[in-house]
Amino acid sequence: MATATPTPPPAPVDDKRASFEREALVHLDALYRVALRLTGNAADADDLVQETVLKAFRAWDQYERGTNAKGWLLTILRNSFINEYRRRARHPENVDLDTIEPFAVFGGIQEEDPQGAFFDKIVDDEVLRAIDALPEVFRETVVLSDVEGMSYQEIARILDVPVGTVKSRLFRARQMLQGKLYDYAVNMGYIKGSRE
Amino acid sequence: MKCRECLEHLYDYLDKELTPDTEREIRAHLAGCQPCGEQFDFEALFLKFVRARTRAQGAPPELKQRILRELFNE
Repeated sequence: MATATPTPPPAPVDDKRASFEREALVHLDALYRVALRLTGNAADADDLVQETVLKAFRAWDQYERGTNAKGWLLTILRNSFINEYRRRARHPENVDLDTIEPFAVFGGIQEEDPQGAFFDKIVDDEVLRAIDALPEVFRETVVLSDVEGMSYQEIARILDVPVGTVKSRLFRARQMLQGKLYDYAVNMGYIKGSRE
Repeated sequence: MKCRECLEHLYDYLDKELTPDTEREIRAHLAGCQPCGEQFDFEALFLKFVRARTRAQGAPPELKQRILRELFNE
């Protein structure tokens, strides 16, 4: 007759594995979403995420348990992206960020659709396309904030810029994103619009 | 608080990045100012919309398997 044998205490290597699974691997989806927006293609996103996770596992002893694993992982991911992937990312860009004039969408639809009902008609792919069309500094900020819900402080740490920079980029990124979606909605006939 | 100052804090407020005092002041202003209220509502809706439209995607199962294999030889 089989008797239940007590489970032996886990070896240290399993502790590392267990804590890594619990604190790091739960963020795989977030890492993938960010990687996809940064690289612009699924194959590079796969490689970038895998590389990030392997690096993180090797450095796991340096991570202070229970702090902010998601921020820590995203920092590794972004640094890897800059060092190894940016050159071949599909968004070659050389924009003069100061010449970008944000358009206040709310002013344009205040009369026609102040409750933003036209948003309901815009599908996932179209929103992702609009995000992908943003210049990289705006794209990464908006993805960390609006897709992944990171705080200004966390984003500042990941991007290695002051909090004030995060705020101003986020403001402009959101205005640009709204502008793109607004133009799309006008083209599709969802709203008439009043943009000059 | 004037409308201009209130609007300057628009995203800080929606992102919950303000001190409790400033947040209270904004809320008080919004309660009595319809134009600011509408704009804040619109922007809040926009942020909710972006989040809802962009989070369906996750890491593909094959990638998860690949990573587990690399990490733990599984």
